[in-house]
Amino acid sequence: MGMEERVARYGRREVLKRTGVLAAGIAAAPLIAACQTSTTTQKTGKVVVMTDPNEFGAEDVKAIEDATKLKLEVVKSDLTRLYAMYAAGNPPDLFRVQAAGVPQYISRKMVKNLQPYFAASKVLKPDDLAPSNNFYKWDGKVVGKGDLYGMVKDWSPDFTLFAYTKAFDEAGVKVPSDSAPLSYQELHDLATKVNRKSGGKRTYWGFVHSNNDQWIDRTAMNMLAEKGQSLYSADFSTANITGNAEAVKVFKYLYDLAAEGLQQSPVDPSPNWMGADFNNGQIAILQYGYWFSAMAESDTTKGKTVMLPAPTWSGTRRDPTMTATGWVMSAQTKDPDAAWAVFETYMGGAPAVTRAGSGWGVPGLKSLYAKMPTDTAFQKQVQKVLGDELKYSDGVLQFNPYIGEETFSTTWKKHLETALKGQISFDKMLSNIEADVNGAIADGRKIVGQ
Amino acid sequence: MVGTAHALERTAARPRSTWWRRRGTRRALTFYAFISPWLIGFVALGAIPLLLALLMSFTNYDGLNLDYVRFVGADNYARAVNDPDTLHSMQRTLVFVGSTVTLGLVVQLGAALLLDAPVPGRGLFRTLFYLPYVVPVVAGAWIWKIFTDPNGGLLNALIGLVKPEFAMNWIVEQPTTVLVLFTVWALTGGGMVVFLAGLQGIPAELKEAAQIDGAGPVSVLRFITLPLLAPVILFQLVVSLIGAMQIIQQPLLLAPGLLGPGTLPPRDNYLYVVHAYHEIFVNQRFGYGAALLWILFLITLGLTLALVRSSRRWVHYEEAQ
Amino acid sequence: MRTHALRYPALILATAIFSLPTFWVLVTSMKKQSEFAGLRLFPEVPQWVNYQLAVTLADFGRFATNSLLLATSYTVIVVVTSALVGYGFARHRGPLRDQLFIVVLAMMMVPNVVLFVPQFVVFAKLELTNTYWPWILWALGASPLLVFLFRQFFASFPRELGDAAEVDGAGPLRVFLQVFVPNAWPAFAAALIFAYTWVWGDYLYPILLLNDANTTLAVKLSTAYADPHGNPLQTVTMAGVVLYVLPLVIIFFLAQRFIIKGVVTTGLRG
Repeated sequence: MGMEERVARYGRREVLKRTGVLAAGIAAAPLIAACQTSTTTQKTGKVVVMTDPNEFGAEDVKAIEDATKLKLEVVKSDLTRLYAMYAAGNPPDLFRVQAAGVPQYISRKMVKNLQPYFAASKVLKPDDLAPSNNFYKWDGKVVGKGDLYGMVKDWSPDFTLFAYTKAFDEAGVKVPSDSAPLSYQELHDLATKVNRKSGGKRTYWGFVHSNNDQWIDRTAMNMLAEKGQSLYSADFSTANITGNAEAVKVFKYLYDLAAEGLQQSPVDPSPNWMGADFNNGQIAILQYGYWFSAMAESDTTKGKTVMLPAPTWSGTRRDPTMTATGWVMSAQTKDPDAAWAVFETYMGGAPAVTRAGSGWGVPGLKSLYAKMPTDTAFQKQVQKVLGDELKYSDGVLQFNPYIGEETFSTTWKKHLETALKGQISFDKMLSNIEADVNGAIADGRKIVGQ
Repeated sequence: MVGTAHALERTAARPRSTWWRRRGTRRALTFYAFISPWLIGFVALGAIPLLLALLMSFTNYDGLNLDYVRFVGADNYARAVNDPDTLHSMQRTLVFVGSTVTLGLVVQLGAALLLDAPVPGRGLFRTLFYLPYVVPVVAGAWIWKIFTDPNGGLLNALIGLVKPEFAMNWIVEQPTTVLVLFTVWALTGGGMVVFLAGLQGIPAELKEAAQIDGAGPVSVLRFITLPLLAPVILFQLVVSLIGAMQIIQQPLLLAPGLLGPGTLPPRDNYLYVVHAYHEIFVNQRFGYGAALLWILFLITLGLTLALVRSSRRWVHYEEAQ
Repeated sequence: MRTHALRYPALILATAIFSLPTFWVLVTSMKKQSEFAGLRLFPEVPQWVNYQLAVTLADFGRFATNSLLLATSYTVIVVVTSALVGYGFARHRGPLRDQLFIVVLAMMMVPNVVLFVPQFVVFAKLELTNTYWPWILWALGASPLLVFLFRQFFASFPRELGDAAEVDGAGPLRVFLQVFVPNAWPAFAAALIFAYTWVWGDYLYPILLLNDANTTLAVKLSTAYADPHGNPLQTVTMAGVVLYVLPLVIIFFLAQRFIIKGVVTTGLRG
């Protein structure tokens, strides 16, 4: 063992000693000491990527290994595993995240600042980056400013609509124009007309959005952002709901959709996920991004599906992504150059070109936009709407750095069920949600010493 | 049949010095030699994770980087006591555990008794009862979701044959019933195997003798089979109880939407481990979640020991007769 | 024989009701994805292509081999160690025996969720993650549930069984192997079925400890049948499930034949 390694080891041990968990490891000390690896740069030639194997197949692995001459080890995305790898001091070199988690990872110094790499890259040039990549910036105060910490693998303006024309025909309602956006109020009224349920049996849900409410906060954030408002206070220390008339209006709107039985809800769930329900012809209007166009046409919905622009809450068009799924590099990576080589190839090399042509998302680089498919009539219609929407998708959503990605939505779902069952009022529901979210924020702030 | 878990109390009650003098060191060494695989495994592999997991419950650990981890004393335990969701989820868990364990016992034992007899095609029947036990829980949950769906579900369609226009949204109106039935269905195979194995230890001569004495099938079951099967019943009860207390995947998978950290079961199926899971993965309170789980551990231990203790009254032992 | 005549129709009816959801796995495996949760009960045209997709989308053979390797090695070892330990607790005495047995039981009561991270940390420090060694080590350390199972069975054997052999001068291991093991086939069969099923079916530990190349079929089954956005293709999954349970059904069918009356046990009692 070299001197440098030994110093690094002791240095690391000092750091850990201050933490509770190493104190926990006193029993394990001999074991840990025996196996503690150094944190200095090591060129192992292997890069560990934690991602979803469905979107990162054997062809991607091979293409990247051939291009970089590095060995890839793919680990399936899993929150427990990620926690465990960080706890073991051995996080994956690269891992898949969604935008909602980015501010927290950055502020907790868990991910590496990639600005110098982007600045030097010949493949991923700043001018060429799609606006959705701004979700990977956090300057300590807001999302969208500061250095780049990662990049989207692809993205979509996520607030567009997909209409099932058969439901409209049956209701004797005209399918809205695909060149002008509806207001959310018009959307609600339209949904009431195409919604169909009788005798406990559901034919069409009128307007389904937010992925079983998993993204309800993102939907609300975007509506509020039209008026320059946020779900949280400027310093993210509290959720601003009951004290903000506009927020109350937004949540009342979303609540009414569920209460009136237009949207899937805890008291009217579907056994399936909403994309499949649309494919089965059970949803009249569905809010999903461009990526869904790749699968929107099933045997049932083929020729009966049109894409519509994102609705507006107050007349201001705004259609950013709400997921911004992409990759970041862990701060502890042992060989950042190798990890970057993999990152760069995945985001700008052959795999990125293949992804662009698949139609499963808008590419993360503007120069690849032209690769999106335009073969079928539906794809052409989709591209027409998308082209328009891209003009309004430069914005970001201000995710809270102190709480988990699904803290807000899970809290919403919990209290929504009680409210829809009539056990609490709408106002009580909102104040419960606010209290729970504020409790989680307070805990998060306490951990980082604020 | 000789007492099993019962041997536990019997030895404990005996003065230590007596058996030590009688059995001697050699006997003790033999005992430790036999249990050494477990003992070594426990010390080498089990103890450190357990200790870490316990210490975790006294920290503010949130699953992210360790640089911010601090000891917070018993705060997490205090929070658990004051959290209304802890009580709610524990109540729902006890309802679930009570129904699943009892119904499960009846179905498992029933299947084993039916299939212990030399009926034609026994192997096939056994396999059919065993099958749900190996169907992956994800797939099983999907099946039960579409099975109970009010729109195209088979369950309502079948009930509709008898009661036209029947429309029940099972997963909303009867979430715990669906959860219990799903769980019992999925676990029957395991219990049946244990009971089948246990039934093989019951001498056929005893049943025959009783039948010659004029005992009917119910009497044979009541006075011969069940008493002799008691140690195995105790095993199955303990194992089911422990398993049911910790159930998490089934309620999450029956909940609306796809499985993810924020998947939220209906309030009635918001069981204790689901609560802990949410605190850990949704609210990023790993330390608190760990405290909740250690409280569950203590409750489970208490219930199990109470069950073993109560078995004194209903587990019959050959030596005592 | 009267009871027998009544019993059989009851058995068929009970099996039919009980197997309805199982049957539905089969029905669903032949549906189109758009028929999965729709109004139509049976598929319009049986989709045999689902079975083809199930095998090709997941590299079925490779991951089945991984599962087979892992489940077989774990099962063989853990059944042996658990039988030894269970026998020790049932038929031998030593200091702290009862306290230690409570620890065995207690090990079953610690929820996995709280152990995942510490277990990973320990295996990572030992550099055993992404290998099958954790399972081998766990198997060598015996399974608490199987120890409990064996203990209940061995303890239920008549006391005279071991004593007679010991009087004849046989050592403890020989008594175990020659007197107890031959009478415990039902317990061994049950333990084998359990151990195999757990490892074959578990996907939580493989996700935690293995990588995408050496993981098990259960993990692939839960993730591979999906569109590029990770949304599940349930009907293909059902076809995968049908293929996936086949080895377990075969193992069960073979093992359950060993669930037969023990000869010596009854002989001693007669």
